[in-house]
Amino acid sequence: MIGGRRPLPGRKLADRRVRVERPHSPYFRYTGPGQMVAKQAASVPLTKAGRLIFRARSLVFGRPLASEEEIGERLAKKKALAIFSSDAISSSAYATEEILRVLIIAGAAGALAYSIGVSIAIALLLTVVSFSYRQVCRAYPNGGGAYIVARQNLAPIFGLIAAAALLIDYVMTVAVSTASAIQQIQSILPAAYDYRLEIAFVSISLITIGNLRGLRESGNIFAVPTYLFVGLALLIVIGGFIRIVTGSAHALPPQPDAVPLGTEQLSIFLLLKAFAGGSVALTGVEAIANGVPAFKKPEAKNAANTMITMAILLGVIFIGITIVAHAFAIVPSTDNSGGPTVVALVAGTIFGASPLFYLFQIATALILFLAANTSFNAFPRLAAILAADGYMPRQFSFRGDRLAYSWGIVLLAGIAFALLVLFNGDTHALIPLYSVGVFVCFTLSQSGMVKHWFLTRETGWWWRAIVNAFGGVLTFVVLIVVTSVKFQNGAYLVIILIPVLVAMMLFIQRQYSASQRQLAIRPDFVARPPHREERVVIPIPGLTRAVIQAVNVGRSISDDIRAVFVSEDPDAAIEMRARWERQVPGVPLVVVESPYRALVGPFLAYLDVLDRAWPPDKPEPITFVVVPEYVARHWWERILYNQSAKRLRTVLVGRPHTVVVNAPYRREEETRFDPPPVPEPTSET
Amino acid sequence: MTAVPDVRQPPFRRAVIAVNGASSDARIVRLACQAARASKGQVIAVHVVEIDWSLPLEADVASRSEDAQRVLDVVEGIAESEHQAVETVLLQARDVGAALVDEASERAADLLILGLPYRKRFGGDFAIGRTIPYVFSNAPCAVWVVREPINETARG
Repeated sequence: MIGGRRPLPGRKLADRRVRVERPHSPYFRYTGPGQMVAKQAASVPLTKAGRLIFRARSLVFGRPLASEEEIGERLAKKKALAIFSSDAISSSAYATEEILRVLIIAGAAGALAYSIGVSIAIALLLTVVSFSYRQVCRAYPNGGGAYIVARQNLAPIFGLIAAAALLIDYVMTVAVSTASAIQQIQSILPAAYDYRLEIAFVSISLITIGNLRGLRESGNIFAVPTYLFVGLALLIVIGGFIRIVTGSAHALPPQPDAVPLGTEQLSIFLLLKAFAGGSVALTGVEAIANGVPAFKKPEAKNAANTMITMAILLGVIFIGITIVAHAFAIVPSTDNSGGPTVVALVAGTIFGASPLFYLFQIATALILFLAANTSFNAFPRLAAILAADGYMPRQFSFRGDRLAYSWGIVLLAGIAFALLVLFNGDTHALIPLYSVGVFVCFTLSQSGMVKHWFLTRETGWWWRAIVNAFGGVLTFVVLIVVTSVKFQNGAYLVIILIPVLVAMMLFIQRQYSASQRQLAIRPDFVARPPHREERVVIPIPGLTRAVIQAVNVGRSISDDIRAVFVSEDPDAAIEMRARWERQVPGVPLVVVESPYRALVGPFLAYLDVLDRAWPPDKPEPITFVVVPEYVARHWWERILYNQSAKRLRTVLVGRPHTVVVNAPYRREEETRFDPPPVPEPTSET
Repeated sequence: MTAVPDVRQPPFRRAVIAVNGASSDARIVRLACQAARASKGQVIAVHVVEIDWSLPLEADVASRSEDAQRVLDVVEGIAESEHQAVETVLLQARDVGAALVDEASERAADLLILGLPYRKRFGGDFAIGRTIPYVFSNAPCAVWVVREPINETARG
């Protein structure tokens, strides 16, 4: 960068000084020898339209952030509990309902009593899974997502299966949580049912924009709804228990749109189905293990303790709501009726129509929306890791203006909303797709941990391995149960989708590996100046300023230069040659007459002929095809020009030993050719 | 009773800080930025490249020197971390002190800040150099000189 220098007088003659301009300063900053960092101004578009779009983007998504502005806040346990548990704890808002929806088919009121047993069984499973994930927290202080654990300890293919299941799980979390949040709203505002897809669209759009703006999970925005929900849910459980103990709990008459009692026999299959339905309570349990690095020191210990606190809270709220629902003989509302949810009925029974009831419903809706947001953090991060490993397109690892993985965020929002539209915003229709992916991840993660303990043999490895092995076996059994009983309800889609995603990731990885091999250079390779001869061929549409510019570019590349004029009109060709020889001396012109009016084909054929005419004992020359191009001032003008040049470039891209050079002529450069040529009078006049 | 000076007055409206790529730069830039932030003042960082008499004053030296540009770029970075804008000026002159005084005068600066490493001359006497005495005797505005701690300079 050579800046201008401006002499300035001093107080004395000898005190003169020279101010040196710093032209790089607005755009770059030197950080080391031959090294500079681009400033924001370097990324601002140069065109008016570009700047307008840039301003609009900044308004919606915020000003671009530099990489060093990333927030690296460490979370205390209380805040981390709120942030990482919103997904898991919020599932207690619909898990009880999923159990009751199955058991009610059995008809007799006694069948509903099994809901307590089923919820206790799920809570026991939660205990085992939580203890297993405590081990993951300790073994992977840098974050032990199922993908990493399975890939490192089992085999890459298991990592990919876990990744596929996780990606599905994150999409489902957004869809199910949003649908369920809207259900909570319609429990207090039934008219919301008719606008559920609109509400879903608005809420997903807001979360998407928030995340594209770089919304972090560290804000108090997460703590308030989570603790409000937990506090009020515990209050409901305590209030319900007091009424049960004091004998004031009695069966309530069913609401008008309650599901009618069925007549089926209570069977093992039905109980297993209820268990599979209620196991959605376990979704989101792994979030803490994935986010260990976000905790304050000692990270692993704090994460492990937070995991247990979360499991206790989830277990207590889930079993508590189930017991209270049973005590008051609460039954779910029919599908698509827009009726209140089980958790809303339980809250209404304990709080009545008091402000606490409305507060609880709002808190429930909020925690569910926030649960959707946890996927907006996890999905793009996992996609970025997969992209970095070559299993997803590289775009997923690029961070946008606000340091967010924009591609992942937009993809997640799109798929989740499409699912909501496809399933008409119905939580119960979506849930069968939900748990399968979760239990695939649990099983793979626990199995990976068993191998991890056997490999590392740390202190107490054998009992740690036993904990994870037990968790792995149990979650595998649950996976089989969940898959088989929910298969017809939609779980088959996940069973199909996981291998499809794995195959897609393997295909992408193979493509990247192949291109990497093709582009790789040996470590001992040293680039020398080229030794092959070079020649320049300029396709010309006529004699214009753009062509003269292309000729000048060509002359700077090689002395072996020629222009090729493909013409369908022999008279025009004769006229062209005469002008060319007069105005561009020293550059031979080849005229190719094209009686079939094709332009590109004859030009390519001419290049082939040139190649064939080259002496066979000499290495093939590099042919530079310099394409003259007129750059119009406005974007809308550009549609009118350079269409033949574009076609030519497209067909030349794959041609061996050929380099296509664009020689753009801009309107601003016209002063170089001044005075402008006087147009020749036409013969007709 | 003598009047107590009003200490609430802003320390400066426009300060010129002299930087030269030494370790003291960061200290004086931060000091100037913090003071400027409080008083909404303007900070101008000046780096003077001394041209010896074997070359013409207008010789293309500083603009080609990445080192000279980097001195000011580093200052910009420090000021940015302090959330304070800083104007940077690169000068070529025969004498650093004179160029600093002239630049401060031209820009009507009310403060000139310089850093001073702790150095000793051969024989053990403290060396202050010739720029600071020149600035002290000629600068029309207030002058702050920030001397580095002794052990820090010795380490550096």
